[in-house]
Amino acid sequence: MTRACSQAELEAYLDEALPAELMARIEQALRNDRNLVRQLAAINARRDAGVHSLGEIWRRHRLTCATREQLGSYLLGALSKEAADYLTFHLEVVGCRVCQANLADLRKQQAESHDAAQTRRRKYFQSSAGYLRREK
Amino acid sequence: MTPASQSDLLLVQRVRSGEADAWEELIARFEGRLLAFVEHRTRNRAAAEDVVQETFVGFLTSLPNYDARRSLESYLFSIAAHKLTDHLRREGRRPALPLAAPSGTNPSSWEPQGPVRPASSIVRSGERRHLEESALVAALGEQIAAYQRRGDWQKVACVELLLVRGWANKDAAARLGLSEQQVANIKFEFLAKIRAAVRRQGLPEDVFPELYEDPQ
Repeated sequence: MTRACSQAELEAYLDEALPAELMARIEQALRNDRNLVRQLAAINARRDAGVHSLGEIWRRHRLTCATREQLGSYLLGALSKEAADYLTFHLEVVGCRVCQANLADLRKQQAESHDAAQTRRRKYFQSSAGYLRREK
Repeated sequence: MTPASQSDLLLVQRVRSGEADAWEELIARFEGRLLAFVEHRTRNRAAAEDVVQETFVGFLTSLPNYDARRSLESYLFSIAAHKLTDHLRREGRRPALPLAAPSGTNPSSWEPQGPVRPASSIVRSGERRHLEESALVAALGEQIAAYQRRGDWQKVACVELLLVRGWANKDAAARLGLSEQQVANIKFEFLAKIRAAVRRQGLPEDVFPELYEDPQ
């Protein structure tokens, strides 16, 4: 890797929460870098011991993520300039995967045919409905 | 924890009572964003659809354990992340890790540095950890909201880079067009507020080691 990953980035790696390019770079580095393996194992051990990490909690609770409605307004250019600039930062610099996915989905909804989405949803329903149970 | 929306709560209630229509609606509401999340990593549509399918099955099988106070979307994304990790391991893309620190590793290498008592010596229940986390979420959320109300977006961005991405002060300063001293001041102010909130709640300080690190 071109630079060492921060502790917060390695924590995010374990949670599948880093930008895809950085995830791939860490996966590649893990094949030869025993020190990196030890660092990740140490993070798992810290988690088991109950140490809280601010970044982890921030990410898990999505404290600065945009709502679906805000992302829609962002696409329509209806956010204030300051709020829109911040959201661009959150998407592109912080690289929030969940917000990126929501934004990509909203964009796709505008472009995708209704039939394609319906076919996919029917497949998900048919493969999972057998697990649907009335809870006691 | 991020609260569930009223509409999601009602939907989950209906799924819990076995309504097929509700299950169809839940799939329609969330499959697009889950597919985008997974496909961004697999770069393969068919594989991504399989992972999303496993995510929905995983949701139904884990439904009895789902805490409805938690955001439904966050819960689904966390299942998708686990299923994606499994998929990437099966594909050989994601190397497996040892479950804990390798034997012979000095525990001091992973315990927090500084004067605080090592957290490994503290045995706490899951409920206790949950309470600590909830208190920290409230404190962080309150401070972030205060910055947002004042339109202080640069401070939000600065603290996010430092804590969520773990960037060094100098890198955050260069990215945001600030001096390193300004970044250090923002970090100091933010952590001081969170420390004060932790003390007010009477929570143990040693389970939040980052709050007591040198801001430089």
